[in-house]
Amino acid sequence: MQMALFFSLLMPCLAAPIAYLSGKKRPKVAALVVASVSIIDLCLLYTTLSTIQAQGRYVESYYWMPMLGSTFTLFVDGISLSMAVITLALILAVALFSVNYMAEKETVSGYYAMLSLLTVGLVGVFITSNLLFFYFCWELMLIPTYFIIGGWGYKEPYHAAFKFFIFTHAGAVFVLLGIGAIYMLTGTIDMFQARSLLATAPSEVLDWVLAAFTLGFAVKMAIVPVHMWLPDAHSEAPAPMSAILSGVIIEAGAYAILRVSLGTVFPSLPTTQIGSPFLHILAIFGVVSAFYGAFTALAEKDIKRIVAYSSISHMGYVLFGLSLFPISEGLTGATYHLVTHGVSKGLLFLAAGSIMMQTKIRNIDEMGGLAGRMPFTAASSAIAAFSIAGAPPFACFISEFLIFVGGVQAGGSDNFYFLPTALLLVATVFSLAYVLRFFRKVFLESSKIKEVKEAPIFMIASMVILAFLVILLGVWPQHFIDLISSALF
Amino acid sequence: MIGVLDVLAPTIIFTVCSVATVPIITFIRRRTRSHRGLLTLAWISTVFVAALISIVRLSTEYYGQSQQQFLTVSLTGDSMLSVSSVFLVDSVSVYMSTVYLIVGFMSCVYGVLCVSAGEKFSERYYALMLMTIGSVMAASFSGDLLTLFVFWEASAASSCFLIVYRKTRRSLEASLKFLIMIVIASGFVVYGLSVVYGLVGSLNFWAVREALMVLENKQLLVFAFAFIATGYGIETAIVPFHMWLPDAYTAAPSSSSALLSSVVDQASYYIVLRILIYILTPPAILNWPNALAIFSAITMTVGNLFALTQTNVKRLISYVCIADIGYNLVAITSVTPLGIMGNLYFFLVGGVTTALSFMLIGIFNRMGLKTVEDFSGAGRRFPAISVPLVIAMLSFSGVPPLAGFMAKYMVFTAAVESEIAWLAVVGVLNTVLQTAYFLRLIHYMYAKPPTKPVEGKAPWKLLAPAYVLVALIIILGVYPTLVLGLIYPAVEQIGSLIP
Repeated sequence: MQMALFFSLLMPCLAAPIAYLSGKKRPKVAALVVASVSIIDLCLLYTTLSTIQAQGRYVESYYWMPMLGSTFTLFVDGISLSMAVITLALILAVALFSVNYMAEKETVSGYYAMLSLLTVGLVGVFITSNLLFFYFCWELMLIPTYFIIGGWGYKEPYHAAFKFFIFTHAGAVFVLLGIGAIYMLTGTIDMFQARSLLATAPSEVLDWVLAAFTLGFAVKMAIVPVHMWLPDAHSEAPAPMSAILSGVIIEAGAYAILRVSLGTVFPSLPTTQIGSPFLHILAIFGVVSAFYGAFTALAEKDIKRIVAYSSISHMGYVLFGLSLFPISEGLTGATYHLVTHGVSKGLLFLAAGSIMMQTKIRNIDEMGGLAGRMPFTAASSAIAAFSIAGAPPFACFISEFLIFVGGVQAGGSDNFYFLPTALLLVATVFSLAYVLRFFRKVFLESSKIKEVKEAPIFMIASMVILAFLVILLGVWPQHFIDLISSALF
Repeated sequence: MIGVLDVLAPTIIFTVCSVATVPIITFIRRRTRSHRGLLTLAWISTVFVAALISIVRLSTEYYGQSQQQFLTVSLTGDSMLSVSSVFLVDSVSVYMSTVYLIVGFMSCVYGVLCVSAGEKFSERYYALMLMTIGSVMAASFSGDLLTLFVFWEASAASSCFLIVYRKTRRSLEASLKFLIMIVIASGFVVYGLSVVYGLVGSLNFWAVREALMVLENKQLLVFAFAFIATGYGIETAIVPFHMWLPDAYTAAPSSSSALLSSVVDQASYYIVLRILIYILTPPAILNWPNALAIFSAITMTVGNLFALTQTNVKRLISYVCIADIGYNLVAITSVTPLGIMGNLYFFLVGGVTTALSFMLIGIFNRMGLKTVEDFSGAGRRFPAISVPLVIAMLSFSGVPPLAGFMAKYMVFTAAVESEIAWLAVVGVLNTVLQTAYFLRLIHYMYAKPPTKPVEGKAPWKLLAPAYVLVALIIILGVYPTLVLGLIYPAVEQIGSLIP
């Protein structure tokens, strides 16, 4: 379909005021508006699939700012499509989840409008090749998130939201500098055109551009040591927002490193083969994040903070996977891990949210024995948790496996990679440990709370959707992996 | 053929109508009771429509020519060019007059609506507003340094009355401060001009430029430049000459602040641009960019740091205006077509955003909310006023897809392009600082419970011009080509001046 991508951005834009107005009287209608928009978007994206399979990339281009050498270019290839599909699936689940979850809160109409705007930003980031519009969407992820965390979060939500905004905005201005530099060097701000034009640029400038981009993206990705915003933002946000934060927003950082740092700038550097110092740095930070996240998660008692720290750990895996550039197993694994981790972590956050909503406590020491009381939540938590731990046949197993295969392969040509790969394998043991601890303390052991009911129907429905996806992506990964590997450079 | 009258038509319309405003509005007030506000609005709109027609005529005639050159017309024809008043029509002046017209109109409409909402302005107030816009417009069409100076001082004089209008102790003090600074500044400028005249024997832009191009000994020129730059630096409120601005804008009624910040302020940046780029073109004539870069960094940083510590919201926005000067100077310093494009775009965007925020803060002030603390809970209580204010603040902080982002993007990219990347880095870090204090205000507005009871009702009428400006901010942010199309010829013209 022509203009499919344009409409996929326009629909949620239009849905925002509709959701706001309808949400004033009937919040449920607003939630369904957001959910149906994501279904429509999924259908629109599906129409591009045949072109992608035939030509590898589907492109739409519109008149925008000729004075700045910029057309409004939207595209999807295998990677973009996978990310956009997962985003929309998560938005769909989250919108349904919110029907019950947000029911007790006041003025939720604004929440749904913000969620709709967030959809524009999230989808836009993945489907544009115009760096300026990419930055538009990059920041558009930020503002609705700020207001959602602040307006409907826990404890002192605006404090956490402020931290989130300042950290990621500070990261984003470095991205902006990088974009400016690319424009200066090439006269274009299209990722793919810039990629070929950058080859003649002086390499010492490129080093700085690469550093600026990667630093900016790493903040969003919450790589240690620029992760400080994440635990607060994730744990104080309302559960649906945490699911999106962990499931898509931090992964957008990883996607951007893959697409812009590695895809656009890196190939023009003088040393691009395995063993370039830049890649080594990525690998080191990846391993550090993986361990830091896992250890902290093992010590945390707050149910959402455990999950939040686990996200830091997993972004470490992804960063390591990206550092295996250009080994296709590693990159495919890293990208597929974005997909699988997005779904699994989204599900785990939703489950944690439903537990918090039904029990009104956050400390896992005070929980216990919920498995019998909340069977659906327990089952979906189990699926998500084991996927996070990397146990087959769930989704994350496949992607982690691919990353490790890539790591070993890279070790064949560069000895450096053996050590981080081995260390990451050790880190998975710790992942299993914190996941088991989480599951045992919350669902098994003896019950300390009485009178807990299972979550309401919409929440269960949304968790079932995601749990189904986690299993599906684990037992039948071929389709996504084909898509992703077809798009690798 | 474009004559003197064509060029001066907008100014003449504004001046004549400004004089006529006093009897006409007195007449309206005496004769009618029910439709006063509406009739006043109709009169003001008539003036602006007439000015718009004259500008549209001028620009169609100008762009109708086969080639867009710098077109000069003088009062005395071709004779005595060195002493005659000369007017200049080029793409920049046409663009600037359009900008003044748009933002000036919005501020005037706001001023009129303020009266119907209870503020006591007399007919003289509107006359002064029109006078200010008229003289600023003439300044943008000036083709020699003296004409520019005369009309610029005229606008400064009328802005002084706009500041003092409430006649409170604060506003008297502020306008006195303003007046003294302006008088000192004009002294500096006149002295500098006299040296320039002594050097080249003319004040005509092009004559000065040509003579300076071949000037051997530049010591005196540097001397003159220092005086002129200081003079206009004071009027532009470049740090360290910025002290008058926050006082003046805080003490003035909000409609005055909106007009001053959106029209007079932008005009002062325009003058700096005109003199520095068109006449003292670097590096051929004078290599000033390095010096200006330092001032630009200081201005941004000081403006933002002071804004960070303010408790009065109106004063906070005044400091943001100072920070904006710094961003504009970054663009001028870069001396690249992209920078000039960004700068011209910034004139419109900055004008719209500052006018918008002063308008909205005026509404809040009217309800008795003045300090940051007072704003607690305002976001939830008055969403219709707060959402535009949040949009304005996000646009200031350079958050896409709002217009402020595009302006900053072009400006900083231009800085990177002309190899003053350090200034771009200072600029973006300043943007983060700006985000921080705006988020603090947003935090108060949305996160805290209300602390202060509100006096009176929210004046909804006043929101009409504000919403127009909000729409402009969003449209200009998403589709800047709309305005960039107007700017582009100007950039091409400048390209012929910059080697």
